[in-house]
Amino acid sequence: MNLGRVAAVSFKEWREVTRDRMFLLLAFCMPAVWMFVFGYGLVLDVENISFVVVDRDHSSLSRDYLYRFYQSRYFSFQGELTGEGKADAWLQSGKARAVIILPEKFQERLLSGQPAKVQTLIDGTFPLRADITKGYVIAINNAFNMDLLADHLGRTRGLSHDEAIRRTRPLGLEVRYLYNEEVRSAWSTVPALIMFSLMVSSPLLTALGLVREKETGSIYNIYSATVSRMEFLVGKLVPYVMISAVNAMVLWLMAVFLFAVPFKGNLLLFFATSVLFVLTSTGIGLVVSLLVSTQQAALIITVVVSTVPTILFSGLIVPVSSLSQAAQFQAHLFPGMYYTNIVRGTFLKNVGPAVLWPDVLALAIYAAVLGTIGYRLFTKRPSV
Amino acid sequence: MRASDRLTVWCRRIAVMTRKELLQLFRDVPLMGFLIYSFTLSVYVTGNGIQTQLKNAGLLVSDADRSVSSRELISRFHPPYFRFDGELTHPNEGFLRLDRGSSMMVLDIPSRFHEALAAGEPTAVQLLVDTTNSPQGLSAAGYAARIVGQFSQELIMTRNGQTGSSSTTVPMILSDHRVWFNQDQNETWFESISHLLRMVTIFAVLLPAAALVREKERGTVEQLLVSPLTPAQIMLPKVVAMTLVILGATAVALFGVMLPVFGVPIRGSIALLFCLTAVFIVATAGIGVFASTVTKNQAQVGMMTLLVVAPMLLLSGIFTPLETMPAWVRYLMALSPLRYFIEIATGILLKGIGLEMLWSQALSMVALGGSLFGFGMWRFRRQFE
Repeated sequence: MNLGRVAAVSFKEWREVTRDRMFLLLAFCMPAVWMFVFGYGLVLDVENISFVVVDRDHSSLSRDYLYRFYQSRYFSFQGELTGEGKADAWLQSGKARAVIILPEKFQERLLSGQPAKVQTLIDGTFPLRADITKGYVIAINNAFNMDLLADHLGRTRGLSHDEAIRRTRPLGLEVRYLYNEEVRSAWSTVPALIMFSLMVSSPLLTALGLVREKETGSIYNIYSATVSRMEFLVGKLVPYVMISAVNAMVLWLMAVFLFAVPFKGNLLLFFATSVLFVLTSTGIGLVVSLLVSTQQAALIITVVVSTVPTILFSGLIVPVSSLSQAAQFQAHLFPGMYYTNIVRGTFLKNVGPAVLWPDVLALAIYAAVLGTIGYRLFTKRPSV
Repeated sequence: MRASDRLTVWCRRIAVMTRKELLQLFRDVPLMGFLIYSFTLSVYVTGNGIQTQLKNAGLLVSDADRSVSSRELISRFHPPYFRFDGELTHPNEGFLRLDRGSSMMVLDIPSRFHEALAAGEPTAVQLLVDTTNSPQGLSAAGYAARIVGQFSQELIMTRNGQTGSSSTTVPMILSDHRVWFNQDQNETWFESISHLLRMVTIFAVLLPAAALVREKERGTVEQLLVSPLTPAQIMLPKVVAMTLVILGATAVALFGVMLPVFGVPIRGSIALLFCLTAVFIVATAGIGVFASTVTKNQAQVGMMTLLVVAPMLLLSGIFTPLETMPAWVRYLMALSPLRYFIEIATGILLKGIGLEMLWSQALSMVALGGSLFGFGMWRFRRQFE
């Protein structure tokens, strides 16, 4: 491999990139814009669940109960219905995600020491939202029950208020959150967004740059030139790897300074693995670009191959452990998952190579395999 | 020329150009192969694979008591929500396993746990939760709180001399929740629908954008411009061809995968669904058309469209509920046709509602698509001047 020729190819590619001002601008802006939009916009705490109530009792206790929903930031009250019949339309139109129905004699039954059934209708079209809504309803019911029980014990057994409360809470749960002690949504999404931005932008840059030569025919200059396959591929990739490596640094700066996510780990490890990751993601672009002949196909295939698994199977939101077998298999086939472990590990957990080596190794193997495939696929003597 | 003749000529030109676009598309073998993969296998794997609710959260236990009560409590952390990862022999091992990420939480039960419960002394168990993925961590803690709450409630019952059958003499609220439209909270339904919409969006934006810019980049658009074709007759056939192809792919995904394999119900009108899907595809294609008129080559248009498509995919309410988004994101997403179409698609398929409830969403898509196209058309001529 002649380094001079590699440099020449790189220089040519770099000039091509810089000459196209809009491409250059987008190459650097895209990851930063995404980080900005998703860092602030991709909030994962489900709040403001719209609900309506049907209160058939209209007693002080029923108002007491509903007040807990009105006050909760998780729920947003939309109005009171006169009958259950109208609940349908509210749920169907999506104006309400839940309907709470209090029965007649709600207060009477509870004060006389009997249970009362509260019905909640939940819109199940979005299972995640339905599940979270159900969880909130159960939590509010449980808290209300504890208070009811304490009151009841106080009245029937003549216990003091404190003693009654103590009796109704025989077992407590002390939860300690680790790594993200205040459970901030941004702390868990922002590091993963570094992965997302790099994984989605760099294959596209590479693939488009390579197929362009094929589509416009300028690749024939390369075919007939003395430059070898290896020299051409390396030279061609260098500018794109550099762009993405710079982007990785910018994203890191944004995470630490703009979003104030603590970086607890080893900076050198982070950057070294980021470069490795960028190599794998550009490698994906390389392989795609060698398999197709039009930029349109390169564009769509790269977007689908890089975006979809990155959103779904890389641990960005849904942890890999809760995927099905087939999806877990797919998750392991893409480099995003390994880098997510590394990013979250170095940002939040302060773990080093001792823990992260399997992920680093996986990325290295990935890069090597993609490089080999790319080298094999690229030929200076195409059959057509 | 009479008006009717002019109309025939217009239609014939559109038909000829549409045929040309379809031929050009079908000739791209890798692209077509990928289209088929995206609307079949990919829908299957995603619909089947994604589980947003808590599942398989790895739980380690450090049980210092080893009593009936402690075992009873541990047994309540059961699948599918939790996965028992074994007992800890050494306290530090818990942190190590959490560091490595092989487990998500550690439940710590103190010694004398059983004694304290039996004697009526308040006691507590500790739970360490990995919150590097904060929604998962919170969800796991929420489930744990529910389990411990239930456990306490049963304790109170037995302690007050009441067994299960006579619990009717305690004042408490019995939660009776019903999940509508999807009683079993079957996640494959929603995940396959949202994945289908994801694919439709990607193809609907990118295909026409790339096709339009390609003509520009190669210079073939000059040939078209000197032909008798008007800008609308150049642009519309591209969109018509792509819409036909994507609609066909949608039908394959719906009738080939989602209905037979996942049992997704079609509770509303299938004709309405396809009509509105066509509207959605055209409106979304408007974004691609618009992008194609402000860019010069395919590399630019690729970056430009992806810049816009990624936020659409993540923030339109097909990935996380729209309620969770900050207000400014919700306003921004008013510009995303996908934000309306997810309501239409789940509304027709799962809720069985029709236009009487979906008209505002349908109208928004039409308005969005119309203005994007109008602007694209206006730019199309001007960009060459």
